[in-house]
Amino acid sequence: MDALLAVELAYWQQTTLRVIGGLVAVLLPAGTLVYVYLFKMMSFMQSRLGPMEAGPYGSLQLLAEVGKFLQKEDVIPAKADRWVFVAAPFVVLMSTFLLVLVLPVGPDLYFIDADTGVYLALAVSSISVIGILMAGWASANKYSLLGGLRAAGQLIAYELPLILAVVGVVIQAGTLNMQGIVFAQADGEIFGWGAIGNPFFLTQFLGFAIFLIAVQAELTQPPFDMPVAESELVAGYMTEYSGIRFLLFFIGEFATAGVFSALAAVLFLGGWYVPGIDSDSNLFNIIGPLALFAKMMFVAFLIFWFRFTLPRFREDQLQQLAWKYLIPISLVNIVATGVLKVVF
Amino acid sequence: MGVLDYLRGFRVTFDKLFEERVTTEYPEEKSPKPDRLHGRHVLNRYEDGMEKCIGCELCAGVCPAKCIYVRGQDNPLDEPVSPGERFGYIYEINYLRCIHCDLCVEACPTQAITETKLFEFSFTNRSDAIYTKDELLVGDDGLPQNLPWEDWRPGEDVATSAWMRATSPAGDADYVGTVGWSGELGYGVRAPEVGQFGEDPEPPAAEVDPVDEGGHH
Amino acid sequence: MSLDHDQTTDARVRERGDSAVLRMSESALAQLGVIDAPAGVAHDLAEDETMFINMGPSHPSTHGVLRLMLELRGEMVVRSKPVIGYLHTGMEKQGEQLSYLQGTTNVTRMDYASPLFNELAFSMAVEELLGLEVPPRATWIRMLLTELNRMSSHLLFMATNGMDLGAVSMMIFGWREREEVLRFFEKVSGLRMNHNFIRPGGVAADLPDGWRDDVLRLLELIPPRLDEYDTLMTGQPIWQERLQGVGVLNTAEALALGVTGPLLRSTGYAWDLRRDMPYLAYDKVEFDVVVGTYGDSFDRYAIRLNEIRESMRIVAQILDQMPKGDYRVQDKKVTPPPRARIDESMEALIHHFKIFTEGFKVPEGEVYAAVESPRGELGCYIVSDGSAHPYRLRIRPPSLINLQCLPYLMQNGLIADAVANISSVDPIMGEVDR
Repeated sequence: MDALLAVELAYWQQTTLRVIGGLVAVLLPAGTLVYVYLFKMMSFMQSRLGPMEAGPYGSLQLLAEVGKFLQKEDVIPAKADRWVFVAAPFVVLMSTFLLVLVLPVGPDLYFIDADTGVYLALAVSSISVIGILMAGWASANKYSLLGGLRAAGQLIAYELPLILAVVGVVIQAGTLNMQGIVFAQADGEIFGWGAIGNPFFLTQFLGFAIFLIAVQAELTQPPFDMPVAESELVAGYMTEYSGIRFLLFFIGEFATAGVFSALAAVLFLGGWYVPGIDSDSNLFNIIGPLALFAKMMFVAFLIFWFRFTLPRFREDQLQQLAWKYLIPISLVNIVATGVLKVVF
Repeated sequence: MGVLDYLRGFRVTFDKLFEERVTTEYPEEKSPKPDRLHGRHVLNRYEDGMEKCIGCELCAGVCPAKCIYVRGQDNPLDEPVSPGERFGYIYEINYLRCIHCDLCVEACPTQAITETKLFEFSFTNRSDAIYTKDELLVGDDGLPQNLPWEDWRPGEDVATSAWMRATSPAGDADYVGTVGWSGELGYGVRAPEVGQFGEDPEPPAAEVDPVDEGGHH
Repeated sequence: MSLDHDQTTDARVRERGDSAVLRMSESALAQLGVIDAPAGVAHDLAEDETMFINMGPSHPSTHGVLRLMLELRGEMVVRSKPVIGYLHTGMEKQGEQLSYLQGTTNVTRMDYASPLFNELAFSMAVEELLGLEVPPRATWIRMLLTELNRMSSHLLFMATNGMDLGAVSMMIFGWREREEVLRFFEKVSGLRMNHNFIRPGGVAADLPDGWRDDVLRLLELIPPRLDEYDTLMTGQPIWQERLQGVGVLNTAEALALGVTGPLLRSTGYAWDLRRDMPYLAYDKVEFDVVVGTYGDSFDRYAIRLNEIRESMRIVAQILDQMPKGDYRVQDKKVTPPPRARIDESMEALIHHFKIFTEGFKVPEGEVYAAVESPRGELGCYIVSDGSAHPYRLRIRPPSLINLQCLPYLMQNGLIADAVANISSVDPIMGEVDR
């Protein structure tokens, strides 16, 4: 970051900037996704208008909801395991914030440029499973317990396809470094034609599809929302949470959706790169974030479109899909990628 | 089977993004209310201003929810309230109990109580819920009164006697389309519904495609 | 120690101390009764192997206030017991206080998703006791309205079924269609629900001006939407996997339990009161009785979807064949006189007064009249003692009888299937509890 600014900033100033940047990077996508997709797109898909009162076309509805949640009574069930109950939403949110650390928003805009960025990203994304289990167990409520158990089974099962889908990208890019992957897509060529670079969703279409399905399951969105099956378990592991704590889960869910979409955009769609401009250009520090945002919205559109159309899988069908179909296909994808990488 | 079957449903929701929404933005726009809508009641008056209610308590007798309280009194000789001998001295409807079945409207022999199309009357305490005669009686212009918590829009006060007019023939085909009621203050004698004999004698040739066995076109 | 009646919400089973024994004997009603253990499951299960869960009266998907006590092993339902009564409001007792003219306002609120069927059953029972013959136009108007009501009730089923299984968009689509039908009812009777329109002797008012156009509009609007549901739901593999093979009932079980309606038809037994014991004018219209093959929840969903299409077929025929004439029987003792005659004739005025205050007297006797409601056989049993109020009014609620089969449907299924099962039985708690 120092390379960008002409002014030398003190350490505490840099840290403040980084904290604010982190918060914006997580909360801005969350808010946008909630408004555009949850409030408006869901409504339009169901032939209705959605919130229209709070702000022009309901744009301030999320603010109103945040205000509503903030002023609610903080209820903790008497039999709940108090500290585990309180800590659970923070664990889930923590994994989202950690994931943002490795996402590159521009050639010089990142928090960490780790050489094992992909590995780090996928590792921290699994922390949320613990948070969900904690929530389910600590609530002292049978429905929550059931939700938590279902979540554990589902999330662990779908970690594997998630990781295996990314392995194909890594093989093709030749590096685990996130910036490296973006540059590989920016500078790559498709059979000698380098006009749009080589976005990996073209060659890794299987990987992209599997990644999207696995992300849907990791976010416990329909059709994989058994843990939060609204009509069965009331709200699954989130049943006993009210007020601010529920808000944390809610924002966490959409923030994670945003961050995973951004991750998919970086891995498969070319990240901050826009074809037509040289990848070394400094211009990308300005339009890179916008490009990544747009790509994130596109992937999120796919995720939410799935959500509003499909009914829910039952857990055994869900597990079957993961273990019997997605993992073998992703293994085949890896083998094919490896072979083709060596051949070409 | 196969992947395509999963995906076909997506077309439906995707197309919906571009179709018209069915939401009405209440309260800025309201759906049109049909004539016969059962809303809040009013006590009507004759065209010369005298009240129609004769205090016969028929409406209270037929109300299944026992929400009407009527007491009649002899008309004072110098200033009669209603034409005839008696008038409704106390008349109260408890809207916390009313189920809007409008049996009272059918029961009234003088078409005194009819219903308007107003259902947006949210009172905020129980005593407001009991509408007294002063609140139910139409004003001097024949229009229902607009109490502070009621939300009247232009045009909602017309057709205040639609249900009474609809049930007037009481099933007899000979009386369909004939007037059997007196005039109302401000509106005069309202027209009857056209009824079954006003329709085309032949039902129109169905413009819709015949619905086949599977219900498809 | 405070008396904790709802012991079943504990995750761990307590040791049986004295107070626990006392509590258990006091709450004996709430205990799971002994029903036949599913095959292959030992009846005396070790206490720490199963968990009792209460799918309580207030739950997003129990279709009203139905309490379902489930004994789970993991996610599998070992035993279950529906507990009802949370919506009981004493409607049948109230019916004894109301006259026969007011009776329809009471009865119509029992099955609130298909109110016209309640009114129809009640009216048919009273007419049979009175020995009245309803004029043809009234019969056809009744048929039109009840078929439209069947459509709206099945659309409600599709909305709630979709919602219960996770397809949230289906919920809104189902309600959107139902709005159109309710709009027509509002035009006809003034109310969207609980219309008090079908009375003993006929119907309350004639159809409004322009009703043909409204019905034609409905008939044009709904079929393409039903095809949309087919695309969105029926062909969807996830939907099929969720519903096929879930909650299987065979004909012998269904008949033994007294189940009627789409549940019975899903087992393959073609029993529809409209065809087998025709009432109104169903012998003059053509329609098919939709029957399933496998007796599972998917069949029930498909049956109801196709019954909407059959109802539209019937409505199209009614449009062509609607006769003209009286729409209420012109018996002076039962129907109030036309308003114009009240001013002309003293007898008419007196009849008007007597019918609206005292009500009309019904000869002594007892009668049972049944109609085919969207849930099954809806029957009305009236015992009359010759006065203007029923001595005993009893409605045979199809949902209550159908609920009896829930434990059998849910045996050895998962909780997710429990939700699908309740949804496919489509109970309306208003008529279960009355």
